Amino acid sequence: MAMMIPYGERVTPDDRTVAARPLMRPRPAGRTLRIVVASLLAAWFALPLVPLLLWSVANRWSAPAALPTEWGLDGLASAVTAGAVPAFGRSLLLGLVVAAVATPLGAMAARALARGAVPAPRLVSGILLAPLALPAFVAVMGLTIVLLRARVPGLIGVVILLVAAALPYTVYTMRVAYAAHDLAYEEEARTLGASRVHVLWRVHLPLVAPGLARAAFLAFLVGWSDYVVTVLVGGGTIVTLPLLVASFAGGVGNDAIVAVLSLSAIVPPLVLLLGLGRFGRRYPTARYLTGPTASRSPKGAP
Amino acid sequence: MSVALVAPAVAIAAFVVVGGIGMSLVQSLGLLPLVGVPSLSLDAYLANGDELLTGLGLSLGIATASTVLSCVIGLTAAVVITQGRITGRLVAALSALTIPVPHLIGAAAVGLLISDAGVLPRMLGIDGTDWPDLVGGPWWVAVVLEYTWKESAFVALVVAGVLASRVARYDETAALLGASRARRLRHVVIPLATPAVIVSAIIIFVYTFGSYEVAWLLGRPYPEPLPVLAFRLFDAISLTSRPEAAAVAVITTAVSLVVVALGMALLRRTPLWR
Repeated sequence: MAMMIPYGERVTPDDRTVAARPLMRPRPAGRTLRIVVASLLAAWFALPLVPLLLWSVANRWSAPAALPTEWGLDGLASAVTAGAVPAFGRSLLLGLVVAAVATPLGAMAARALARGAVPAPRLVSGILLAPLALPAFVAVMGLTIVLLRARVPGLIGVVILLVAAALPYTVYTMRVAYAAHDLAYEEEARTLGASRVHVLWRVHLPLVAPGLARAAFLAFLVGWSDYVVTVLVGGGTIVTLPLLVASFAGGVGNDAIVAVLSLSAIVPPLVLLLGLGRFGRRYPTARYLTGPTASRSPKGAP
Repeated sequence: MSVALVAPAVAIAAFVVVGGIGMSLVQSLGLLPLVGVPSLSLDAYLANGDELLTGLGLSLGIATASTVLSCVIGLTAAVVITQGRITGRLVAALSALTIPVPHLIGAAAVGLLISDAGVLPRMLGIDGTDWPDLVGGPWWVAVVLEYTWKESAFVALVVAGVLASRVARYDETAALLGASRARRLRHVVIPLATPAVIVSAIIIFVYTFGSYEVAWLLGRPYPEPLPVLAFRLFDAISLTSRPEAAAVAVITTAVSLVVVALGMALLRRTPLWR
């Protein structure tokens, strides 16, 4: 820091600095160990996905052969015949509905908790995190009788239970987001004459948008992945992708169909995850707060 | 204003948690029979006494094995990930790939991989008859492997996040003061990661203890873990079976709550807990 090096100028280190092993750089033995451990871990995480990829393009794979004996898309055709497309749509809808309900509820609760204006905050946080500690089947078995007697339709019951299961994730994610959120921006906008709605749309939501996207993704996963709640409350009438996978995986000789259905259950959340990575990095703060739209005075305001 | 913001979320969570536990308890005590007069009794708990005890032991064993293995593998992965470089990025990408896979899909994939007609014995050139009973075998290997596969990625994600944000500076300082890699791992990285590992372990234990679909798909028909037992009783046609399923649910919840309490107590004893 004491030495002033003009910006952009290259400094050639002398020979001693170059020859010495940097402090945090491992020895060759450590390097080999690290590569071996990393390869084992990579194999550990990737291996279970290999049979899905191979079986999904195998028409025939007789037992001793190391690779499929006949390649083709019969599995895909059988999966479509078995109703994969409507099941896929139902899963997608369920995930989106759960995300659409659980994300705003979690964000509202997290904001109130972050502002410290909630009575008994520890109890409230405890209740909101509690679904994480309760096995899903317990909630279902206890509440089925209540939902039945109150004549709540199966689909609504499924959504209520899954929203409760998603709330711990959305509340936690949004609490992290609001902890880094500076209320001064909103106050500033109010002082400058923006209406409450305008502040919400132009300042508040853009600032917490990456957090909202993460929360919505986690809530979507809860609805998308669920098996227990859908099968018990829905009583087998709401056939989602996991239900279809379960019915085929429970039998014998459906390996190609199971692989195709499984892959189609993995791809949408993966695409969302990749999109999330891009979205989370692009921080909208600067664009929205210094851009021309935010500084324009809102309609109707003095 | 603030109360109105919190109220809807709290109402739904409380309805499901308090209602779920409360109604399970009421049903298990015979106070809400499908037909007939309600009467307080412990019959539902005693009717399947032996199966309840075996199921409890089995579920505890599966959950313990999965939790311990996930934490060890996940912590190793987190350390490799925070080292950065190409190996770290590869492990980070592959473990992130595992996160959004539903457990049921994971179970189907593990079944396709390591059953006696699976892809692994075919690739290794081992005949199905010589392959050990991993799926549906006596040691529940496939079930534990599926949980460990999914949850070790979860531990890696959580712990790597903590290590990247908090530990890096301490690690550099220790290196500057002359600590070797092994000593830094033992005295800096692992102690700083402990709270995150404990929190993940609580979540994993409770999840694997109360999860149904993986044990149902990859396990054997008998003995049954508690959730599988509860499902069978819930779907059975006899009139007494619903209260019996509720009794299994109540016991599962009680054990989960005890584990959460123990875990929180352990967490408070770590020096780093706020």
